[in-house]
Amino acid sequence: MNLVQKTAPYLRKPTARVSRFMGDVSVALLPLVVFAIYRHGLSAVWILLAAVLSMVLTEYVYNQIIDMLNGEKFKLKNKSFTISNMSIVTSGLIYGLTLSDVIPLQVVIIGGVVGTFLAKLIFGGLGQNIFNPAAFARVFVALSFGGAIAYEAYVDADAGATVLGVLANDLFDSSVTEYYSYWTMFSGIGMPGSLGETSALLIIVGGLYLFLRKSFDIFVPLTVIGTVALLSGTIALFHEDLGLWFPYTMVFSGGIMYAAVFMATDPITIPITRPGRVYFAFGVGALTLLIRIFGQLPEGVVFAIVFMNMFTPAIDYPKWTTNKFTFRSIAIFAAIVILTAAIATAGVHYAL
Amino acid sequence: MIQTNKHIANYKNISEDFERMEHVEPERVHIALNPPRCKDCETYVEVGDTVAIGQTLGVSQGPFFKLPVYSTVSGTVEAFTKKVMPGGEEDDVVVIKNDFKDTMHESVGERTDEEINAMSQQEIVDIVGDKALTGLGGAAFPTHIKMGTDKPIDVVIVNGVECEPYLNSDYVLMQERPEDMFKGLRYAMQAVSAPRGVVAVKETKKKLLAMLKEEAAKHSDLDISVVEVEDFYPQGWEIATFKSVTGIDVPVGTLPMEYGILGLNSSTIIGVYDALKYNMPVIDRYVTINGDAIKQPTMFKTRIGASTKHLLDKSGGFKEDAGDVNIVMGGPMMGQSTPYEDITITQTTASLLALRDENPVEEPCVRCGSCVYSCPVDIQPVQIMNAYKKGDKKALEQLEVNKCIECGICSYVCTSKIHLTDYMRKGKNFLR
Repeated sequence: MNLVQKTAPYLRKPTARVSRFMGDVSVALLPLVVFAIYRHGLSAVWILLAAVLSMVLTEYVYNQIIDMLNGEKFKLKNKSFTISNMSIVTSGLIYGLTLSDVIPLQVVIIGGVVGTFLAKLIFGGLGQNIFNPAAFARVFVALSFGGAIAYEAYVDADAGATVLGVLANDLFDSSVTEYYSYWTMFSGIGMPGSLGETSALLIIVGGLYLFLRKSFDIFVPLTVIGTVALLSGTIALFHEDLGLWFPYTMVFSGGIMYAAVFMATDPITIPITRPGRVYFAFGVGALTLLIRIFGQLPEGVVFAIVFMNMFTPAIDYPKWTTNKFTFRSIAIFAAIVILTAAIATAGVHYAL
Repeated sequence: MIQTNKHIANYKNISEDFERMEHVEPERVHIALNPPRCKDCETYVEVGDTVAIGQTLGVSQGPFFKLPVYSTVSGTVEAFTKKVMPGGEEDDVVVIKNDFKDTMHESVGERTDEEINAMSQQEIVDIVGDKALTGLGGAAFPTHIKMGTDKPIDVVIVNGVECEPYLNSDYVLMQERPEDMFKGLRYAMQAVSAPRGVVAVKETKKKLLAMLKEEAAKHSDLDISVVEVEDFYPQGWEIATFKSVTGIDVPVGTLPMEYGILGLNSSTIIGVYDALKYNMPVIDRYVTINGDAIKQPTMFKTRIGASTKHLLDKSGGFKEDAGDVNIVMGGPMMGQSTPYEDITITQTTASLLALRDENPVEEPCVRCGSCVYSCPVDIQPVQIMNAYKKGDKKALEQLEVNKCIECGICSYVCTSKIHLTDYMRKGKNFLR
């Protein structure tokens, strides 16, 4: 026995582990994985496997190359490669579940490799990345292989067009609600769409699990969804062709629920303070809606996340960063929310 | 996890039921001649002199006050030497061999209530200052300077919130001497002409609360109450206690007296009682010997100047399988780690903890934000760490690193086990 001298504090919270909250995200995704396999069968298994393995292997190979460049001996077990904290596995799963069920496997793999390398490893690995690797990989796939795959795949003969696919052509086409009932949109049963994004119900279950385990900040998904609901609700209120179906469709179709719960909450790529995270989440929600309404893409949430990721350092800038909501900051934030709602409403009214 | 963490896992607290309590009379005591904040002690005794309890051994010079040093046992002066203090540094001490007769010095004597009731603020302050009473909660700030304030005081708050795990010496003292505590509170209220007195205790200490409320009812002629405060860390930090009791947010770095609040630790207020009623300095102290590496955690009542080694032996020493042991004076969150077993117990020594050395492995930060969410002074430990690593002075200033109270919660909650509190200290030093 020796006496050692340390600096205070001497206790560490036993349950505070990176692997715990990263692992929790994977657990929260499990119902979606099961649902995807139940709906799409073996093709879902292959796509998810390809997504996870491509990301994990990229990280492994990258670490081996870096160690070799540093002149270290080759060992099968790499010391810098940290699969145990579940971070890259979780990214892979999140990425895989955003994909369509008919996407070719080589596209999945290219997206996984590029997403991991360009969005994560090149910045220095875990904790250093600016972009959410899963969102980045999804954006890469959408942009590089979009024309051939992303949209046409949705309009497949059996499943029919996705809600957002229809609305991209005509925003005011309330007939979507005739194809898909509110329950279908909520539960995801019989909804066309990507592997894991269709069932709002299971996403909420996963979100509740993460909330109860305190593995994410519930303010983020609530703000994203709240923003979409508020803005689309305001637009519907001031437009005679739109009704309650419009905000409902906006919230429960496409990837907004999924991205709000699993992508916008990735702590590494979002601001570090609670007010900062709320502003970030508002940006994601508002941008998603604006892209959906005014953009050419039916699906904007991954773009919104990657775009807002770039603002994280600006929100966290030492000069104004604070973890307190003050009267002034709430007033400014409320003014921005109202202004955004007004611009969106006016835009729908005059531009479309 | 990713949330506001205000609770520290409940480590087994001993002695709530006085089960393992021992009274230890030390063979000899080492009285520090230079209490915290003081130096250049002038001594009045020589080797071979016989001294009594409460006899002045010398006077120590503070920055703007003088603190006498008193003997805590009766016996003979054996030597002047050096000994390790709780802060880890060696300091001059006078060694007194205990004759176990407990002879009181002639200055110690009871005052009648009428005598005390007739005293002015200055008289009370003089007596408290003469008895060298300092804050026994840990800061060791001279009490007579606080009580001598010329600001109007609305409320005297007795801080009975021990918020760090493992500690409960204040809790035991309050249970042993509730009457004296309320009388001490009356004296303090009299000194600063405060209309209101409050005793703040954690809401979880039901037994103590019932006892104190019963006692407070006996003082219905004055506005004295017992307030239950939420059990979170760092509730015992006086600014957090003031906020919970009065709702007033005293900014870090200003004196609470300016906001009409006089805050005193519960053991200090009992010291006020002893000084005024019996003209007696603080001579003994409850010391918790605790921690996961201790065989038999025990609560001791012993004289100031006793050795911790003695108490450690009495509590069975370290467990055989303890591995490396970290000895901490004070609480596990803010206490001082020392590589010594034989340390002098001073007025502010509430505990000695022997903790197993965990040696957590640091992982890269994943920006989960737990430290930011949990910080009681609303600064951002992780951003401060990054600014310190980059040597960015301007950012450190903008991130207000100097507001940090080093409560340790950021290191405690970190999911990557990064020692953030240490970076806060480094950041503060870097700005100096």
